[in-house]
Amino acid sequence: MPSKRHAASTTSAPAASTPTSTPKSLSSGPATLKTNASAAEIAQHVWQQYLTTTPQRTLLLDAFMFFLVLVGGLQFLYCILAGNYPFNAFLSGFSAAVGQFVLTASLRMQTSGSGPGSSKPSSKGKNARFAGEDEEQTAGISHERAFADYIFGSLILHFFCINFIN
Amino acid sequence: MRWCLALLLCCLLAAVNALSSSGSRLLVVQEDSTEKSLYSKLWADLESRGYDLTFESPKSDKLALFEHGERVYDHLLILPPKAKGLGPSLTPKHILDFLQKDGNILLALSGKSATSSAISSLLIELDIHLSTDRSAVAVDHFNYDTISAAEKHDVLLLQRPGSLRPDVKAFFDATPPLLAPILRAPVTAYGYNPKEEIPSAEDIQATGSQLSLVSALQARNSARFTVLGSAEALEDQWFSASVKAPGGKKTSTVNQEFAKQLTAWTFKETGVLKVGKIQHHLATEHAERNPKIYRVKNETVFEIEVSEYAYDKYVPFEVPAGDELQLEFTMLSPFHRLALQPVRRTETSTVYGAQFVTPDQHGIFSFRVNYKRPFLTNIEEKHEVTVRHFAHDEYTRSWAISGGWVWIAGLWSVIGGFLAFVVVWLYSAPSSAANAIKKTQ
Repeated sequence: MPSKRHAASTTSAPAASTPTSTPKSLSSGPATLKTNASAAEIAQHVWQQYLTTTPQRTLLLDAFMFFLVLVGGLQFLYCILAGNYPFNAFLSGFSAAVGQFVLTASLRMQTSGSGPGSSKPSSKGKNARFAGEDEEQTAGISHERAFADYIFGSLILHFFCINFIN
Repeated sequence: MRWCLALLLCCLLAAVNALSSSGSRLLVVQEDSTEKSLYSKLWADLESRGYDLTFESPKSDKLALFEHGERVYDHLLILPPKAKGLGPSLTPKHILDFLQKDGNILLALSGKSATSSAISSLLIELDIHLSTDRSAVAVDHFNYDTISAAEKHDVLLLQRPGSLRPDVKAFFDATPPLLAPILRAPVTAYGYNPKEEIPSAEDIQATGSQLSLVSALQARNSARFTVLGSAEALEDQWFSASVKAPGGKKTSTVNQEFAKQLTAWTFKETGVLKVGKIQHHLATEHAERNPKIYRVKNETVFEIEVSEYAYDKYVPFEVPAGDELQLEFTMLSPFHRLALQPVRRTETSTVYGAQFVTPDQHGIFSFRVNYKRPFLTNIEEKHEVTVRHFAHDEYTRSWAISGGWVWIAGLWSVIGGFLAFVVVWLYSAPSSAANAIKKTQ
């Protein structure tokens, strides 16, 4: 048994070293993780990485999405605890948060898709054909157009929700 | 002038009809006109109460209950015939037709002669079963009259009947001024044919309170039919007789009073209910009376005016203690069944009312009052109304419901967050250098 464990650890060592090689290729970023880093250190590293490599607008999008999750979660919790009596109010308030989240997520996909630190490299290996199309799509939509679509969709959502809450 | 005459005529008609609530024409069917004198006190009593008595023999050719399909008499009193039947104009079918046309019938039987098969078959139609032995009499060896029936024990002494049930008006009781219903035999009585010497225990068809000496039937149309087991109880002889129970004191009978109450009830002088005005409306000031349409969850008031006929006038009807006049608000099945409470009293009627909220269900509903009690004529009222759902602008606004404030706050915080996000987004446009990098990529 101990020999087996030893074998597993030896094989895992190169595997663990591969992700550390990707930040090396990036120009910016903090010091690379050691192979025997603890979970807290890894989390700290990921968070630092996220903060340093994400563009400001994407950070803003993420903050807004976090806020929406918070608002939606609180409304749902209130519905569970206090009952759903004006049900239309619950539906309206909750779906406003969810809908806004979905719209914001779409905006994030359209504006940060070709930015640095995206998940492109991983998808490219799996199905290059679709990735090519994807790139074409994102390339075809400018950030201004995506933002205008987002505003338009949000206004429609707000209009419906305010009407529905009566 | 003509107007005055009409008014006078109306007053006269009112005076004529004052006695019974359903007319004063009374037909007495009696086989032997010589027997008329036996009941002279009863006839005098009835005439003093305003009845037009007509005496006919069942064999008479002139006798007919209907003319051109309408009743000729309002009430019918049949004294026991000695013959086998009541003749061609008083077949059970004719008598039932008479009952169906709201005629009232008092049928007296007698132990002296065998009951005719025509009468037995009539009674079986009404679910009243006589002893199969046609000439059976009820005897009681404990409550007999020691003066007149010391040997035969077939003159029974009975207490005035009380209420049938605690919640039924005692129409035939002595103490309240109204009357009572069915007179049952005492527990020690049994049916027995005097012609057979010793009755064996197996032969006795009914004993004790299984025997009904006086039975009353009120048809669904409130026509009344009373079977009096003993025609002799109506004879003058027993109206003022003195009787003595074994071991008891000598007392005088109250047959006259009982006969009065019995005939008064049968011929609809008592226990007749009349529904006056029925009103339903919203429980708001100056609401429209009897609207055709209500909305769900409307506060609604229903009122019904009920009077009771007592001998010669209408008096306010009081529901007996333990009983209730109920209102049902039904669509197929009742959604509400409420006790109607007396709201106010007029000289001749009591107004009963109830207030309730219409159920959260739209459809065709009806206000129903269905009051069917022994010895009272039936009340069956049904008033249909439509109950509609909320109109789109009748729902409470969500800000008026404090429970919804959290979600309203949630919605507006999402919108506020969106606006703030848009502003920050526009002010955080990436530098052109960054754009240039992106373009090269």
